Amino acid sequence: MSPNLAELLAALPAVEGEPDASEGTAQLQQLFSRMGHRRVPVGTLQRLGTLGALQAQIFLAYSAWWVRSWFRSAERNEQALAETHLRVALQLLAGMGYLRGAVMKAGQTLANLPGVVPDEIVETLEHLHFQAPPMHFSLLREHVCNELGGEPEEVFAEFDARAFAAASLGQVHRARLKSGEEAAVKVQYPGIGSTIRADFRNLFALMLPLRVSKDWENLKAQLEDLRRVLEWETDYEKEAEFQRKARALFREDDRIIVPRVFEQHSTRRVLTAERLSGVHVNDFLAGNPPQELRDHFGALLGRAWYRLFFSGRVNYADLHPGNFLFQSDGRLGLLDFGCVRPFSDREWELMRLSMRAVDGNHEDLVRYLKRSVALAEDASIDPEHLRVLERLCAWSWRPIRCRESFDFSNGQILSEGVEVFREMTRKRFTRGEPLCVFAARMFFGLFSMLYRLRARVPLRAIGEEEARAAGEEVED
Amino acid sequence: MRITNDAKLATRQRILEASRRLFARDGFDGASTRDVAREAGIAAGTLFNYFSTKESVALSLAAEALGAARDGYERKRRGEESLEEDLFAYIAGCLRSLKPLRCCVRPVLEGALSPLAASTSAPEGESLRTDHLEIIGSILARHGQTEPSCVTLHLYWMLFTGVLAFWLEDSSPHQEDTLALLDQALKMFVGSLPEPVADPSKPSPAKETSHEPQPRGTARRSAGG
Repeated sequence: MSPNLAELLAALPAVEGEPDASEGTAQLQQLFSRMGHRRVPVGTLQRLGTLGALQAQIFLAYSAWWVRSWFRSAERNEQALAETHLRVALQLLAGMGYLRGAVMKAGQTLANLPGVVPDEIVETLEHLHFQAPPMHFSLLREHVCNELGGEPEEVFAEFDARAFAAASLGQVHRARLKSGEEAAVKVQYPGIGSTIRADFRNLFALMLPLRVSKDWENLKAQLEDLRRVLEWETDYEKEAEFQRKARALFREDDRIIVPRVFEQHSTRRVLTAERLSGVHVNDFLAGNPPQELRDHFGALLGRAWYRLFFSGRVNYADLHPGNFLFQSDGRLGLLDFGCVRPFSDREWELMRLSMRAVDGNHEDLVRYLKRSVALAEDASIDPEHLRVLERLCAWSWRPIRCRESFDFSNGQILSEGVEVFREMTRKRFTRGEPLCVFAARMFFGLFSMLYRLRARVPLRAIGEEEARAAGEEVED
Repeated sequence: MRITNDAKLATRQRILEASRRLFARDGFDGASTRDVAREAGIAAGTLFNYFSTKESVALSLAAEALGAARDGYERKRRGEESLEEDLFAYIAGCLRSLKPLRCCVRPVLEGALSPLAASTSAPEGESLRTDHLEIIGSILARHGQTEPSCVTLHLYWMLFTGVLAFWLEDSSPHQEDTLALLDQALKMFVGSLPEPVADPSKPSPAKETSHEPQPRGTARRSAGG
């Protein structure tokens, strides 16, 4: 039986110096019961409108808790206003079904972090990966007909009416092209793009009370960046372009394969690509692979990410277990290029600064950290903020600074990351270049995948090799 | 000279074809009955022997399109659809058939199909509504809803005309927003229906099939993308 929200709230880690979980639970119960306009039964919480996904409930619990902390010391009337806004924002979030995709990634990250949530919750999170509403075949047929100019049965030699996998904003079907190739056809749920734009306009308006915060401009920039990336994810033509470029980066002997895109059968809402064989990480691990094989795939994962970073100049931020296929011949399949963030020239210079800071002196580090939180080099920075940022860098760079293979098997690197982020959130040090927020998401994703594999990976050596191959200066 | 039935039918068809062309080119308001008559090669007054108003012409075009939609829907049915999917398939087919006539559906909607339109003002509209609801009734019956109440049919009609109105204004690519609206509206409509009645003399209605795919990353699969 799935845990109810009260149990989840009780399972949330206690935050140092904050009211204990029971007080938070009671406050949230009151808030949700007001939203539902009726008394909440003892021990359970009101379901919110159309909200059904457990992950979205978890997200709401976290977000409600976090946002409430902003106003804890505010005047009563400000607090009441904030409560109203929060209530409406939560109702809006409840309706933003696609956003479960974005926030579900937070849930998935939680699922990969040892000790943060109980195992039974992790299992529930892992099974609820579907985000966009499922499409029955009549809807899909109509949509595909609009996009490809013919119904699936006309355009393809074979088309499986039943989806075999979920995607962030749609679903995936097996097909065979008339030319014989086996394909995976990803079809996006219709209308999501305009829904995202409208919902973000509303969400932004609801967050206006936060404009008195000193970090308002930065918060706006982060929200805008999230909206932009979500809209990118709705554009499968953009994703196809990233996928083609990524495919061109890997040679046969890299043992990393990116599926070929079939352009004639792809549009903004439909992406048809080569269907790869292989299994996902859970099934791979169920076969109890030997340590050498785990290390092998761990290294391939690291190399794939670094190749995209240095040679492709993109941040492949969606390191989700569903995006990798472990093939029986030892190759790694790389899927889903919807959440790929290219670096601008200015951002690449910032990344170069971070690379110098990894092995550089304290001055290099401070210079980089100021830039990462959008401060000028000569601006002052709160010493406590600086200390926390240094802690963040120490954490994210530890595997890269290790000159031998880094052992991801004990999960300590993940627990440390959770502690760092909790401290940052608690102290409201959330200001940052949007790029750096994405980098943080990437690190969590990469480390959690390598932890799952219990792999030992020479991440530094791989990174240096890839950097040199891309023409970057690397000190010996 | 006596005009034969065949000749009358042929003239009627010429008027409809001419109207279809002119409405598409000039819009409903931009094409007058005189223009239609000229295009059809008949006298201006003759047109009114066949259609009382320009709106009647548009209604007849819409009725033709919806007739074609019904045929298409029957051809494509697989027999395993849920009620929601069955209704969607039919309504989406109607929209697809009406698409070439999008420019003249508004007067049809406002003048004849709208819940506010008086039934006596557009007998062709009433006939179109009745035909459509008959099909809906048969779809509902196939899924165990053998005697839909007046409220159910009225709710359905509000849904259908509401979706039509949305579709007319929908500027999204391929009117994809309308597909999403229709999908979600039908979920709500079907959810509002009573439990289907089981009739021991008839075969059970098509089982509600789940169209939810496997979660990402948890099932063995061969996939790309």
